[in-house]
Amino acid sequence: MWVKLAFKLFSRELRRGELTIIFAAIALAVLTVFSLSAITERISLNLAQKSSDFIASDRRLSSNHAFEPQLLTQANKFGLATAEMLYFDSMLFANDELVLGSVKAITGSYPLRGKITIKDSLTSPAYDVDTGPKAGAIWLSEGLFYALKVKVGDKVELGAGLFNVTKVLVKEPDAPFFSLSGNKRVLLNYADIATTQAVQPGSRVFHRLLFAGNEQQLSEYYTWLKPQLKSNQNWQGIKDRQSPLGNNIVRAERFLLLAGLFGIMLAAVAMAVSAKRYCERQYDPVAMMKTLGGSRKVIRNIFLLHLSLVTVFSIVAGLMVGFVLQTIGADYLATFMGTELPQAGFRPWLLSAFIGLVCALMFSLKPLLDLFDIPPLRVLRRNLGDTLAISRIHIALSMMTIFVLMWIFSGEIMTTLILFASTLLIIAILFAISRLLFAAGRRLGLRPGSSWSLALATLQKRANANAIQLISFALAIKLMLFLVILKNDIIADWQMQVPADAPNMFIINIAKEEVTPIKKFFRDNNIAHEDFYPVFSGRVDAVNGEKFARRVSKQEGEENDKNAKKGVSREPNLTWLASLPEGNEITEGQWFTYGVTGGNDIEVSVFDGWQDVLGLKLGDTITLLVNEQAINAKVTSFRKVDWGTLKPNFVMILSPNMAGKVPVTYFSAAQLHDSDTKAISQLLQRYPTISMIDIKSQIEQAQSIIAQVSLAIGFVLSIVLVSGALVLISQVQASLAERMEEMVILRTLGAKGRLIKLATLYEFMLLGGIAGLVAALVSDIALLVIQQQLFDVAGRLHPYIWLLGPLSGALFVSSIGYFMVAHTMRQNTQGLLRKLG
Amino acid sequence: MSVLSQLNVIQVSGLTKRVNTLEGSLTILSDINFSVKSGESVAIVGASGSGKSTLLSLLAGLDVASEGEIHLDGEALSTLDEEARARLRADKIGFVFQSFMLVQSLTALENVMLPAELAGDHDAKAQAVELLEKVGLSHRLAHYPSQLSGGEQQRVAIARAFIGSPKILFADEPSANLDRKNGQLIENLLFDLNKQNGTTLVLVTHDEQLAKKCQRIIHIEGGQLEKISEGGAANVG
Ligand SMILES: Nc1ncnc2c1ncn2[C@@H]1O[C@H](COP(=O)(O)OP(=O)(O)OP(=O)(O)O)[C@@H](O)[C@H]1O
Ligand SMILES: [Mg+2]
Repeated sequence: MWVKLAFKLFSRELRRGELTIIFAAIALAVLTVFSLSAITERISLNLAQKSSDFIASDRRLSSNHAFEPQLLTQANKFGLATAEMLYFDSMLFANDELVLGSVKAITGSYPLRGKITIKDSLTSPAYDVDTGPKAGAIWLSEGLFYALKVKVGDKVELGAGLFNVTKVLVKEPDAPFFSLSGNKRVLLNYADIATTQAVQPGSRVFHRLLFAGNEQQLSEYYTWLKPQLKSNQNWQGIKDRQSPLGNNIVRAERFLLLAGLFGIMLAAVAMAVSAKRYCERQYDPVAMMKTLGGSRKVIRNIFLLHLSLVTVFSIVAGLMVGFVLQTIGADYLATFMGTELPQAGFRPWLLSAFIGLVCALMFSLKPLLDLFDIPPLRVLRRNLGDTLAISRIHIALSMMTIFVLMWIFSGEIMTTLILFASTLLIIAILFAISRLLFAAGRRLGLRPGSSWSLALATLQKRANANAIQLISFALAIKLMLFLVILKNDIIADWQMQVPADAPNMFIINIAKEEVTPIKKFFRDNNIAHEDFYPVFSGRVDAVNGEKFARRVSKQEGEENDKNAKKGVSREPNLTWLASLPEGNEITEGQWFTYGVTGGNDIEVSVFDGWQDVLGLKLGDTITLLVNEQAINAKVTSFRKVDWGTLKPNFVMILSPNMAGKVPVTYFSAAQLHDSDTKAISQLLQRYPTISMIDIKSQIEQAQSIIAQVSLAIGFVLSIVLVSGALVLISQVQASLAERMEEMVILRTLGAKGRLIKLATLYEFMLLGGIAGLVAALVSDIALLVIQQQLFDVAGRLHPYIWLLGPLSGALFVSSIGYFMVAHTMRQNTQGLLRKLG
Repeated sequence: MSVLSQLNVIQVSGLTKRVNTLEGSLTILSDINFSVKSGESVAIVGASGSGKSTLLSLLAGLDVASEGEIHLDGEALSTLDEEARARLRADKIGFVFQSFMLVQSLTALENVMLPAELAGDHDAKAQAVELLEKVGLSHRLAHYPSQLSGGEQQRVAIARAFIGSPKILFADEPSANLDRKNGQLIENLLFDLNKQNGTTLVLVTHDEQLAKKCQRIIHIEGGQLEKISEGGAANVG
């Protein structure tokens, strides 16, 4: 019985446009969440895949001891693909030349992710393959061809074995980003390790197990593995790598997350406001129905049915539009990136539908309850039930919902808290402002009849409603400004990390006596280069005499795991320097003074990221093992290091009085162009012991990923901007609808259309301007916090948005308002009066 | 149940209404007593602010009395909760208001059918069409309130008031928002239909002329029943 009536009312309300804003708000929430989370997921899946290429697997386990065989068999049982790897140094011999090469022996399944790039001869073009050399064959990097004076097809002795040189090794996916192994690289089949007899008990080797599979398999395996990990075994994923990529991926993910949160916030604001407005418009019909004998139950059923219909329709519509949007967006991104984006799973569908549902329920709950409570007496006493102030319960409920939604979506309480707090701040400031402003305006007593005084009068009269509008304008503007600035900052930061003139070749293994002639060589050939650093490697053995345990894995989120023993099993590259390198910044303590002037005690400056990992404080003594020789160094400072740059960075820098205590080689970086190829060959032939690491491909890769991520961010930003614009438009529309009565009265009293239009223009200009100003100030403050907390970059203020905010706010809001009023004014007064009903 | 109360479709005894305001309790109506017989037409008159609308709202069960009792068709309103009062209104009462109170999103026909539909009666369409015909709007069935003039809207409201053949009809200044001519048209319609259906009519008005058309006139002054006089229609009916 009521069902028929409910459907009839529903279809009419739909046609009259009463439900449009609610519908749009829910659909907006759904489509924002859907398209953002789908695109984010697809991009991060893609990035993760790409990044996995960098370690040739999804996870790897490293150790300087052989692994127990059950680690592999168990991994296979969990469904993981595996590969084994062994690094060792061995002498190569051919044509009377004896050269030390760094050998990587690999099983047939290597690489699990990514490709190996090789050439058929030194001069032929490079191409990608999926597996390494067959047993009996070896692949050598270009430098070894010069050093050994061989060509493809020759035979080379490696340890005790004789091997065919079959390919030129150009690049492996997990080639060390920066290490001492240089370009004397050898790729060997794992089965041939025995033949070389190079690996004897006690020789320095490095074992690695590679794993690939889905996240669930990986985490199941890790759960099994974790209790038996030894202190010398190090579990790593891509996030554990300190590389520009790792950091940038994290930043990009955070940005996308934030953008999604903002989308939700925007839609939620629209929903909260429009649901309330819709319910208020139903007060009269409900009072009427009650008077005519409609029972509470019938009325409740009717409106709950409406709510369900709107919810279902708008969720479906939101999903559909969102799907189309993300398909277009992802296709566009994919063609730009030249890759295919993996499909997102079910998560975006479920998440967005769920969020749509929660929005619909929570934001309409209180207004609906109020609606059910409308007394029938309202038919006689017209203003009965008009809630002048918005109910505190509605506000509290809406805020709580927004908070919970943001939390669910982000899974991060910190981000959610910062954003939420800055939003509350905006609301508080705006409430204060609107009170002050509207009170002050009243005293001004402007000349009646002018557009400005009409605008001010209207603003004052509707102080409460205006405060709400101001808040929603400001929120929308704030979220948009916030993202625009954050995007600009992040991208500028990235571009700074990989400047166009960055050195693209590392030259390592330079003997002390070669430093001067090589410098001269560079000068003669017009090659730009960096300083020459002394380098040696050493292991952190103990702090204040206490030895270390296994290192924790960031990939598995273990940094927060209190039970995991902290420690490092890494051998950092070490140097000594008299002055602080460019881009580093002392965070605690002081740069060496004593060590520079020639004291005997050695000092060390440590990367501040290791401060916590090792539990270090100023004054601690670190024991470093360098070639079995123990060196004690006193910690005198901590430094911030920007690992995002492709410059040589050092975890530990020792004081210059280290010189002469350990054998070192020198290291530099140069910027080489394609035209310098001949010079490079010359250099390698003249100084066969030096190694060059070509990081051009790494730089290009980093730049292309930065470009991709920037694009993705731009895309996501535009979605949020569209949502923001929609919220603003719907707000202006709502407020105009509320103003209709006044405008009609003014019109009826003979006010010129121009006066009304101008008054509206000024009024919205003021509203938009104030909202924009507050939004700019608050988002700048929130940005300061967010950038430091989440993005790990130094926050700074952006004075230009203090102008941009109010200007764009005033312009945008007033132009929407003006056009809508102008449209209304074209209708005749009689028609308008009728519309008011 | 006494014969008297069967005859008296409305019985008001000791009716008092107080409201709480910022300045304390305010008595709007005090100790009102009267009764209305079935089929009778009664006008409630009084100065603005004297409490006429308040009285009407109490009679219709839209509001509850502070003291005293109202019997509507034998049922004591004070014993009914809001739901029961709504049901009572659905069964026995029709309304016409000064501001027509039509549901904007429903057509004229649908507005007329609304009370029947709320009560779960689906066969009201024929009766609704017939009523709209009687008020002269048979050609405007599918029009929305915003497409009708004030007088036309009030005629729809009257048609709506009579659907489901209510026992009692309450009207609060039904013609106050209309010009003389349209007002008269509405009043005539109201009285005609009232007579045809044998409905009891309780009418609030400022208008002496209109009041005189009723059989009895209840005068309210400052919340108190001043007197009950015979209306012009008393001689006729
Ligand atoms: N809820 C309330 N709170 C305070 N005062 C009230 C309330 N309801 C009614 N009143 C007051 O009670 C008095 C009677 O109101 P009522 O609307 O019944 O008058 P009325 O006779 O219908 O007047 P009119 O002819 O102008 O419609 C008025 O003075 C009114 O202000
Ligand atoms: Mg009244």
